[in-house]
Amino acid sequence: METAQSKISFTINGKKVERRVRSSMLLIDFIRNELKLKGTKPGCLGGECGACTVLVDGVAVNSCLYLVINVDGKSVTTVEGLSGEEQSLDVVQLSMVEHGAVQCGFCTPGMVMAIKSFKSQCDHNHHTPDREEIKKNLEGNICRCTGYVKIIDAVEALF
Amino acid sequence: MDFRTISPQTTEELLEAIKQNQGKHFRFGAGYTDLIPELEMQMENGLIVINLAKLKDSNFTSIFLSEDGIRIGALTTMTDVLSNKHLQKFPVLIEAVESFASVQIRSVATVGGNLCTASPAGDVSCALVALGAVSEILIANGQIRTVPLTEFFTGVKTTVLKKNELLRSVLIPHQKSAERILSGFIKIGNRNSMEIALASLAYHITTDKNGIITSAGTAVGSVAETIRYTESACEFLLGKNMDQLSEEDKETFADNVLKYANPISDIRASAWYRHQVLWNISKSIL
Ligand SMILES: Cc1cc2nc3c(=O)[nH]c(=O)nc-3n(C[C@H](O)[C@H](O)[C@H](O)COP(=O)(O)OP(=O)(O)OC[C@H]3O[C@@H](n4cnc5c(N)ncnc54)[C@H](O)[C@@H]3O)c2cc1C
Ligand code: FES
Ligand code: FES
Repeated sequence: METAQSKISFTINGKKVERRVRSSMLLIDFIRNELKLKGTKPGCLGGECGACTVLVDGVAVNSCLYLVINVDGKSVTTVEGLSGEEQSLDVVQLSMVEHGAVQCGFCTPGMVMAIKSFKSQCDHNHHTPDREEIKKNLEGNICRCTGYVKIIDAVEALF
Repeated sequence: MDFRTISPQTTEELLEAIKQNQGKHFRFGAGYTDLIPELEMQMENGLIVINLAKLKDSNFTSIFLSEDGIRIGALTTMTDVLSNKHLQKFPVLIEAVESFASVQIRSVATVGGNLCTASPAGDVSCALVALGAVSEILIANGQIRTVPLTEFFTGVKTTVLKKNELLRSVLIPHQKSAERILSGFIKIGNRNSMEIALASLAYHITTDKNGIITSAGTAVGSVAETIRYTESACEFLLGKNMDQLSEEDKETFADNVLKYANPISDIRASAWYRHQVLWNISKSIL
């Protein structure tokens, strides 16, 4: 039977969540409005800008084009999951800070999550990417301030 | 955006959901990268989405070698295609996926969604048409019917799929063993990334050891109502020696490709430009 509401159970930033949700709710709306995690940014809401990027089972996706019912049984990481009171900044965040790769900061959480996913994939394959590959992997993230050079520098320094 | 959903996990549940809803307005959702933007733009009243994302049927979700060819499940993602070892021998397909959107989108967008959305700018669809792939359609009664992709698209955003059917997989038939392969995907856009093609050309041409062209598949995108297989251009190449094509041959080939183009002028490019650029890239591949 079709349902207007669905029960879902998944982990977010290591914590288990069980909720009834509207079946057509977007992941970004659940994260921001239900869980009040405001680090995930709404930019274009159409898959173009990457500000809403989160990890689903470690892989970067646009949370504005993802139904929350489809994270059922999976593990979601938002920028809040990378660091906290007991945990200092993640290496990706540290590198962004060190390289001055943050200006207004609106693109930064999405950028950091996309880089995080790229880095784990490269680490998994024991691969050191060149600048062209780094650029190619950040195609889905728009930054209106930095001109990208420092962001690419920050990624390069991770390897 | 508000709709109800059904999330079948097995093929039986899927077929049941299709049968139960024949009298209602329903659509399938796979990776949602076309469906969500479309519904955000214009919501459809009373819509039910049959959510394919939870379906566990390897015919839909995997890529495997079979006797008749390589079968790509409709629910495999662009990232799955990029990392599959059997598909590396089709540069046309790999390049089409590489030119596609962003990593984030490639991780969720499905091959079946690209075909069923039936956009004239569908990159992966264009490559699959050039490869002579065949769609394998699952009917609600459990049977499969096959339709060559050259006949799959019936117009902008329309396909041969009926209300009680969905795409299960596409088959790239085994090809004659080839000595040399000339295969690639050229996408012309206004920028390098995240671009919708203004015109595109997918080609996969093979030769024997003497350089004689033994098979040729070319298709064009964004220059007509649907992606089109450029049959007469392919036939023109068959039997010719790849290394001895004259300037005139190359131009005749490009003229033949253009027979299938009927581009429009829009905000992104004029019809004249699309014509010219298609002719130039067609000539350039030989
Ligand atoms: C920012 C952005 C960039 C993009 N860039 C490109 C690009 O470069 N090249 C390109 O070609 N496309 C591009 N697209 C379009 C889109 O990502 C692709 O068409 C994608 O392959 C659609 O797959 P999906 O799984 O997301 O489809 P969905 O959105 O889930 O579905 C698309 C349509 O197909 C139907 N459908 C899906 N699966 C089936 C099935 N198995 N049987 C029957 N019907 C089905 C749905 O009902 C729907 O009408 C882009 C989209 C966005 C948002
Ligand atoms: S807000 Fe999701 S990609 Fe722009
Ligand atoms: S720092 Fe302002 S958009 Fe990137």
